[in-house]
Amino acid sequence: MGKKAYWIIIFTTLILNVVMLQLTTRAYLGREFEIVPIYSGVAFVSAIVTIITFLQWRKAEYGDKKSSS
Amino acid sequence: MSKCKKENARFRKESDKEMINLVDNLNQDDDMRFNRRAFLKTAVGASVALGVSTVPFGVRAMMGLEDEDYERVEITKLSDLPKGESMTFKYPDDDDAILVHTVNGDLVAYNSACTHLSCPVFYQKEDDVLLCPCHSGYFDVKNGHPIEGPPQRELPLIEIKVENDTVYAVGRKYRHG
Repeated sequence: MGKKAYWIIIFTTLILNVVMLQLTTRAYLGREFEIVPIYSGVAFVSAIVTIITFLQWRKAEYGDKKSSS
Repeated sequence: MSKCKKENARFRKESDKEMINLVDNLNQDDDMRFNRRAFLKTAVGASVALGVSTVPFGVRAMMGLEDEDYERVEITKLSDLPKGESMTFKYPDDDDAILVHTVNGDLVAYNSACTHLSCPVFYQKEDDVLLCPCHSGYFDVKNGHPIEGPPQRELPLIEIKVENDTVYAVGRKYRHG
């Protein structure tokens, strides 16, 4: 996967997490307890995807540097 | 020109190598701190922080999944509340609530804490709306939904029953209508 793809994934998850936090707080304050764990779960999975993508990006970014030097 | 040089001199690093001073406009510290990689790392940190911050809400919601049981509480006699009048009461427990007998003859009740910043809302008979005077928030008296101003959510609805000229509060709904 190209480095640009890592950037796209990370910023997509960032946008998703902003939206999920908004929906989670709105559902929580509205006492819609059935859907709060769904939004929260999506946000948590998205955060994990971010971390994994970041680790992959770091490997690609700094791995290249090592191999080129 | 001399002023410009003076400003650039602030960023100049002392060095034995004369060539380095040819790039006066560069600050190596800033260049190391604010770059493409740092930007991506900040975005990752923000994304993870936002994602993880939703977890406590999810856990609390799962713990509070059981429906609350509401007591049946007498509010007032219907004959004591003519059309176009309102009265305040507590339901459930110590939560402030407002019972409105609208000009059309409907009986509605809501928790009266504004969903913006919890100021109490009042019934405005002339316009047949609920008004939060703190930040000019208006709610539709028929369904408790915000119609103007900063509030984004509806007022919690108090379910009422009228039996033998007595008005009772029997439940509460947060999302409705």
